[in-house]
Amino acid sequence: MKAQSEELFVCFHVNGEASGRRSNLTIRAEKRERERERESSTGHRCFSVYFSSPIPEVMLEKQLTGHRVDRSICAWFWDQADSFKSFPVIASPTHYLFQIVRDGITFLACTQVEMPPLMAIEFLCRVADVLSDYLGGLNEDLVKDNFIIVYELLDEMIDNGFPLTTEPNILREMIAPPNLVSKMLSVVTGNASNVSDTLPSGTGSCVPWRPTDPKYSSNEVYVDLVEEMDAIVNRDGELVKCEIYGQVQMSSQLAGFPDLTLSFANPSVLEDMRFHPCVRFRPWESHQILSFVPPDGQFKLMSYRVKKLKNTPLYVKPQITSDSGACRVSVLVGIRSDPGKTIESITLSFQLPHCVSSADLSSNHGTVTILSNKTCTWTIGRIPSDKTPCLSGTLALETGLERLHVYPTFKVGFKIMGIALSGLRIEKLDLKTIPPRLYKGFRAQTRAGEFDVRL
Amino acid sequence: MAPPAASQRYPSPSQPSGKSEVTDLKSQLRQLAGSRAPGVDDSKRDLFKKVISYMTIGIDVSSVFGEMVMCSATSDIVLKKMCYLYVGNYAKGNPDLSLLTINFLQRDCKDQDPMIRGLALRSLCSLRVPNLVEYLVGPLGSGLKDNNSYVRTIAVTGVLKLYHISASTCIDADFPATLKSLMLHDSDAQVVANCLSALQEIWSLEASHSEEACREKESLLSKPVIYYFLNRIKEFNEWAQCLILELAVKYVPSDSNDIFDIMNLLEDRLQHANGAVVLATVKVFLQLTLSMTDVHQQVYERIKSPLLTLVSSGSPEQSYAILSHLHLLVVRAPFIFASDYKHFYCQYNEPSYVKKLKLEMLTAIANESNTYEIVTELCEYAANVDIAIARESIRAVGKIALQQYDVNAIVDRLLQFLAMEKDYVTAETLVLVKDLLRKYPQWSHDCISVVGGISSKNIQEPKAKSALIWMLGEYAQDMSDAPYVLENLIENWEEEHSAEVRLHLLTAAMKCFFKRPPETQRALGIALAAGMADFHQDVHDRALFYYRVLQYDVHVAERVVSPPKQAVSVFADTQSSEIKDRIFDEFNSLSVIYQKPSYMFTDKEHRGPFEFSDEIGNIPITPEASSDIVPQQFEANDKDLLLSTDEKDDNRGLSTTGSAYTAPSYDNSNISSQMQELAISGPATPATTQQSSFDFDDIFGLGLSTAPAPALTPSPPLLKLNPRAALDPGAFQQKWRQLPISLTQDCSVNPQGIAALTVPQSLIKHMQSHSIHCIASGGQSPNFKFFFFAQKESEPSSNYLTECVINSSSAKAQIKVKADEQSTSQAFATVFETALSEFGMP
Repeated sequence: MKAQSEELFVCFHVNGEASGRRSNLTIRAEKRERERERESSTGHRCFSVYFSSPIPEVMLEKQLTGHRVDRSICAWFWDQADSFKSFPVIASPTHYLFQIVRDGITFLACTQVEMPPLMAIEFLCRVADVLSDYLGGLNEDLVKDNFIIVYELLDEMIDNGFPLTTEPNILREMIAPPNLVSKMLSVVTGNASNVSDTLPSGTGSCVPWRPTDPKYSSNEVYVDLVEEMDAIVNRDGELVKCEIYGQVQMSSQLAGFPDLTLSFANPSVLEDMRFHPCVRFRPWESHQILSFVPPDGQFKLMSYRVKKLKNTPLYVKPQITSDSGACRVSVLVGIRSDPGKTIESITLSFQLPHCVSSADLSSNHGTVTILSNKTCTWTIGRIPSDKTPCLSGTLALETGLERLHVYPTFKVGFKIMGIALSGLRIEKLDLKTIPPRLYKGFRAQTRAGEFDVRL
Repeated sequence: MAPPAASQRYPSPSQPSGKSEVTDLKSQLRQLAGSRAPGVDDSKRDLFKKVISYMTIGIDVSSVFGEMVMCSATSDIVLKKMCYLYVGNYAKGNPDLSLLTINFLQRDCKDQDPMIRGLALRSLCSLRVPNLVEYLVGPLGSGLKDNNSYVRTIAVTGVLKLYHISASTCIDADFPATLKSLMLHDSDAQVVANCLSALQEIWSLEASHSEEACREKESLLSKPVIYYFLNRIKEFNEWAQCLILELAVKYVPSDSNDIFDIMNLLEDRLQHANGAVVLATVKVFLQLTLSMTDVHQQVYERIKSPLLTLVSSGSPEQSYAILSHLHLLVVRAPFIFASDYKHFYCQYNEPSYVKKLKLEMLTAIANESNTYEIVTELCEYAANVDIAIARESIRAVGKIALQQYDVNAIVDRLLQFLAMEKDYVTAETLVLVKDLLRKYPQWSHDCISVVGGISSKNIQEPKAKSALIWMLGEYAQDMSDAPYVLENLIENWEEEHSAEVRLHLLTAAMKCFFKRPPETQRALGIALAAGMADFHQDVHDRALFYYRVLQYDVHVAERVVSPPKQAVSVFADTQSSEIKDRIFDEFNSLSVIYQKPSYMFTDKEHRGPFEFSDEIGNIPITPEASSDIVPQQFEANDKDLLLSTDEKDDNRGLSTTGSAYTAPSYDNSNISSQMQELAISGPATPATTQQSSFDFDDIFGLGLSTAPAPALTPSPPLLKLNPRAALDPGAFQQKWRQLPISLTQDCSVNPQGIAALTVPQSLIKHMQSHSIHCIASGGQSPNFKFFFFAQKESEPSSNYLTECVINSSSAKAQIKVKADEQSTSQAFATVFETALSEFGMP
């Protein structure tokens, strides 16, 4: 990693003496000038944020700047056709709208000026994450019951249209989450305020993600490797894509100012990674060691992408033959390469094509359910040792259709505890100064992300 | 639950329940206001919560403003927050009442608890009542000096809010200078970041009328300031990092070392967990290295991996934003991503907006090495449950086929699509087969045999039908039943609702007639009669035109309608490379998402009815207005591929241009010149035509003897040019350098013109007769280059400068127009093109 990137930059120096650069630079300066003019007339960021539930209704509205956005913008939004409305960035006649949808709630941000679209989308994602973290999930009732907290959070997360603090740990110190404990406390102490009395010291500390001096009687730190496998098996049964995306999740309850290092036994399997701001870049560059002062509580230390994999742990062999208005279906599922741990919660779901009028499917293991929207789910659980699970049955086509032209795609789900399928292994976790009563824990799990088997 | 009120101040009468409850609340609040009984805070909190929940769902509760303010004297922080929220929402509408709140907010600004100090200050600044600004200056001043950084952070943003309420108050209090010193010396990163964002905004707004602000604005981009920020970028939170990176993009580095220093400082930002930071860094890298080609390529290699990770690991919305940007990069450097095509394979559960972009990516990166895999993958989507995606993927296969040399396998697959017998698949495929045949006529045998087997009854979509009809006309000699299929279709003329299809029917009948006259004669007769009686102007005109051409001379007609075909080598691209460059300059902005540079959707003249105003929310939102901004994106996507102007006009409702000629033809120039020839010579020789039309009408069984007046009159030029314009070469050169290119246009030159071009002087003379003067010319056959200028007759100071490059072998001309008055350059280009098209005519 290091060699590669240094070489890159050495090359920069060698090639940097390109001729004719001066003229190019001046041209660019002119262009910049133009850009700046545009910004000068603008400058603000998001103007307002709306939350809306699936039935068109504004659940919450927050105006962010002096420039008031009328609510009619939401009415305009709901009136749009679904195909157009689903885009994350939409231009209305008066504003640009950014939206994300989480658990049926639409988060909408409006702006009238140029801004990096990804910034708005990322911010909305953070809002959704923080809220679901605070409220223990996201749904209409939760938001409505706690709208005061939501307002408080938004107040600290964005001011005058520009995002401020979105770090959950810091927010948690400013605004106490509405959990059972604080409810209990308020009953006992009579102090019903859900705002902590002290100001987060983190805002003033030089490590913005960490409060200055949390105190714990027992010090605990847990590391979880969570991996998701995305794969596509095409119609010929060929594995065309198989990738693993993973995260290193940590939960840290350490007193004082701990300095941690985490190293992997085989960092070479990693293709690309993204780090939490706390990770120091240079030690990783030179020795592939994660060196960091952790935030307090739960956080995502890094996410990574692993080089292509050769095999999926499971195989799925679907077959459909259709003739004179009836189809025979059979799907076999089995273990292709044994990961060394039990594969659990195996499911197979697919959408029956529209032209199927009725389906009669059964399996020799597990249960099959067909919902009214023609979604068929086969819950297998674990693969039994004595037989190969098989789903079979017939599909009746609508009258007038001889053969099936649209084929379903099978979505496979599974979970493997205790192993990271990429083979990534944590070597050790060290603390610079070892506190008294330290517990360290490591776990790993892999689950299916988007595992598609086409037919 | 009441629906959201359209207006905040005047609740609609349809909410009686809301209203009575508000009155209720009002009286309850009043009771509590003066009370100091224990537990009163709890009841207040319940009431406040009710008020705010009404506010949230859109019921107007501004009438309880007075009571809320009275109740706000409390030590409970949650009550305070709720009250701040309420007051902030309604203060603008009740300036008199909000005076009441000032008092308690000012008191809170001196509270012991920094959190209350901060919140009070924020609320104070958010009141935004112009006549209360005098009360802001004091608290803001002390807020900026507060020893707690939280309060300082809020105070800095407060200064910006004050500036927007009353710029003069802000400047008079010398706040910008205070912010500047805070920005450079404060220990807290958030304070520094807020200072930066506030100062950027204040100074750029001030710059127009204050030289000092202009200088200050420039100083933000000076080397020490930029490095001050970049060196400590890690201390800032992710959003502030984005802000700094945006600032860095505007910095013009002094030399290459400077560039490498910055890139070294920022390299680890590419690994940041926040996609916005990564993308902002990518922009800095790309912009810094624009002038160094090799390094620029290396940057692509470096940023590839982080971007690919972002695509697949984030939420669909994030993927969408990243993919839009990747698409831009891929179009500039397709080979870099060529080996990573699998990242753009569509997963079943992805939303269709992501799938659509992925298909575009796959099309863009397809090359010799990966075409087979990509096309195999795309073919699987054709059987997708999502019909829109199935269509898109068939189109994508077609696009790849048109850009590859080895189309063997692809043609086979397209023909397999036809065998799927799904109406939308067949429809899309037919359109593609037509385009393929235009580019690769050698495949006609394979295609025609399959297409011949398709029953025209199963095809309903106008585009597909037109494609089929085109093929029937074009390959009439290879399809045994072509005349009879056409005849069938023509007999159902009345049921054919699409003008496009009727136009194609006319042309196909003509073509078929030239190839197999006896079999088609009857059908053509019916078609011409029906066409001339058609209510649609274009159809009517074309039928009439065909009729007259046939009347004049059948051989000329054949040359006009069915000339020998040349394979099309390149289909017109919808976007010029200049526009793509502009979009690239605006990397990491909305321009990328909309695939057009910002001036197209932010400038007033492009925006149409959309205007900024303070009361913007009250402007009724009309659906038509939106069509101005967005749907063209989709259209552009649909149109990526093709075609002649007819399709585009068709999409806009066939109303824009009066162009009668919409047959899919390649050598427009040739045909149009011949058309004009005919139009001129036709009426000039009435005696002979009268004679021939007699038999002619007999042949087709038409009873028309008198023809209506010719429809082909050129539209008068919209722009009057000064015939005696003068400009000396020095001034021309200077202007040419200063002005941006306002317009680039390709047009064709008629063959007579090309012939006359052997003496370039003749063109110069010809253009002079149209008041367009030549200032310099040069070049050798086949490439000639001319520089022209012209002046508006009414305003001699308004010049048009034009560079015109004519390629005599392709009979094409490219003109670049620069104008003092950009808005009229299109009008000028039209004049120019008209003049050019008449070149060589007698």
